[in-house]
Amino acid sequence: MTNMERREFLRAAAGAGLVLGTDGRRVLADAYAFGQKPSLSRVEARYYKKLEDREVECELCPRRCRLGDKERGYCGVRENDGGTYLTLVYGKPCTMNADPIEKKPFFHVLPGTRAFSIATAGCNVNCKFCQNWEISQVRAEQLSPVDLSPAEAARTAVDYGCRTVAYTYSEPVVFYEYMFDTAVEARKLGVRSVVVTGGYINPEPLEALTKVVSAIKVDLKAFNQDFYADYVRGDLQPVLEAVKLISRSRVWMELVYLVIPTLNDAPDEIRRMSRWILKEVGPDVPLHFTRFQPMYLIKNLPPTPVSTLESLRRIALEEGVHFVYTGNVPGHEGENTYCPKCRRILVRRYVFDIEAFDIKEGRCPSCQTPIPGMWA
Amino acid sequence: MPSKVVVIRGRGSRPEPGRTDEAVVGRMLDRGMTLLTGRTTAAEAVRAVFSPSDRVGLKINGIAGRALTTPPEVALPLARLLVQAGLAARNIAVWDRSNRELREAGYRLNVEGGEFRIFGTDTAGLGYESEPLIHGNIGSLFSRVQTGFVTASVSLAVLKDHGLAGVTAGMKNYFGAVHNPNKYHDAHCDPFVAELFEAAPVKARHRLTILDALTVQYHRGPSYHARWAERAETFVLSLDPVAADAAGWRLIESLRRAKGLPTLAEDGRAPAYIQTAERLGLGRAGTADIQVVEDEV
Repeated sequence: MTNMERREFLRAAAGAGLVLGTDGRRVLADAYAFGQKPSLSRVEARYYKKLEDREVECELCPRRCRLGDKERGYCGVRENDGGTYLTLVYGKPCTMNADPIEKKPFFHVLPGTRAFSIATAGCNVNCKFCQNWEISQVRAEQLSPVDLSPAEAARTAVDYGCRTVAYTYSEPVVFYEYMFDTAVEARKLGVRSVVVTGGYINPEPLEALTKVVSAIKVDLKAFNQDFYADYVRGDLQPVLEAVKLISRSRVWMELVYLVIPTLNDAPDEIRRMSRWILKEVGPDVPLHFTRFQPMYLIKNLPPTPVSTLESLRRIALEEGVHFVYTGNVPGHEGENTYCPKCRRILVRRYVFDIEAFDIKEGRCPSCQTPIPGMWA
Repeated sequence: MPSKVVVIRGRGSRPEPGRTDEAVVGRMLDRGMTLLTGRTTAAEAVRAVFSPSDRVGLKINGIAGRALTTPPEVALPLARLLVQAGLAARNIAVWDRSNRELREAGYRLNVEGGEFRIFGTDTAGLGYESEPLIHGNIGSLFSRVQTGFVTASVSLAVLKDHGLAGVTAGMKNYFGAVHNPNKYHDAHCDPFVAELFEAAPVKARHRLTILDALTVQYHRGPSYHARWAERAETFVLSLDPVAADAAGWRLIESLRRAKGLPTLAEDGRAPAYIQTAERLGLGRAGTADIQVVEDEV
């Protein structure tokens, strides 16, 4: 398929509401359709240093993979080619969709709008509970990417009425260059960029990223290092540093905490985390407690009881976090936005739909309390 | 009984970098297999390890290109030896992750059979299993070549220094049998190499390790650097996968010592996964538990 044919295909499919599904299993199977050849980019990566003997050290994320010639980083999508570090997924999204922005979830960013959501293969951690492992935990050539340049991605977002481009589904840190350049192109067209990430990124690239995107949602996967070591294959502290860095920037931030029964649902842990958030970030960062479903390498645990989500939400509210939500529980009162002062419902949601929106010029219409967010 | 490891040298098997003498390799394999099994002929030796109905996978290592890969001049004589012993050619597959890597290593692909099958996991209709297999710290999709075709597996690996694992040899070669090897590079690949080998698709099928040490990258591996590559013109064979890797490790250490390099332990990257494999009962790693038989053709 030529680039032009791909674009036509993309636009036609997007018009039907679906560009490429996020059903990774289907994508994986498709990757082996007869005659299909892998499609990898050969674009020089940013944030690495050249070492002796054609070795390189990646400086994008805290892993700092040190790689010999022809070796790939932990993410599986960056490769040392003779001493030059390459990203293999630049302009090669494997998944695209026009999603409600609430699906990311962003609850304080342009409610009721759609985000042109893109992802490539790869991830720099390996969460045993990953919900998109079919694309995040594979190598780029194991999927069927299409060619979509940053400018084309930005244009596609405009064409389909999306106010934002969301870098999501897998881990956008590993397709940093593509994300960054797309954000620049999108901004030229008046489209903002939002990032959905685990926050496992070094300060220098993160700081640069905050100059070109508008909002970042960080998955805080637990508030203890043991969980990060055992279930994420990463470290907590760099994530906390990333959260602090984002909070000091001009970028809007929301936090998501996937609650997994028995693994990261201890009330004490949530209380400590809430206090840390208040101290380091402040009370206005939205905090989403979302419901776990058995997935990937953790299939022996049940879905999170709703009562657990309610209990943890209550703890965070008690500690003083203003906007605490429950996720993946359709119709739950924790989907709504309440005024932190008078408790009036300001945004009534049902899953990804906005049923009522009652914030006037960024304030509660009853008590005039400012409600932080990107509302327009 | 100690585990037997055969170290067989073939003068002229690698007359110059990147060139392999197939005739010498054939003699090395014949002699190595007879010494390993105690049988009189190479065909008898093969029949002591494989049954005539086996579908044998020769898992090569083609990642490092022509200079440092299991070349066709090694894999194909072994495949022919299996046929001479009574196995069907169509039941023998030389394979690795991708057709591209196989081509770059000098193989001519052959998917349908005829003579030997030569293909990568990315061949149309093959691919990986759709559900991850979980074993210890491993969570991977296994190649359908390993799970669906192979009944008996040979790890035909290239012996190399490895910047992360310390040594890459027979057990680590099976990283090429899963979809996400990059996820197993933490902590010097320990315990991942051992646990991946212990997973049923590998352990239940593995029969024989042959380490291609014709050229040994004893430093700065796994990529090729002529400065630290030694033409050792050697194969290491064993039915014990741990003993084979332990012997390979010692060969690398001896080369490093001869060149004045620090040991891998001193370099902070001793291949601890070999001890882990021994603890898991996959084989023996200690010198007292390994009988090394050396010969030359």
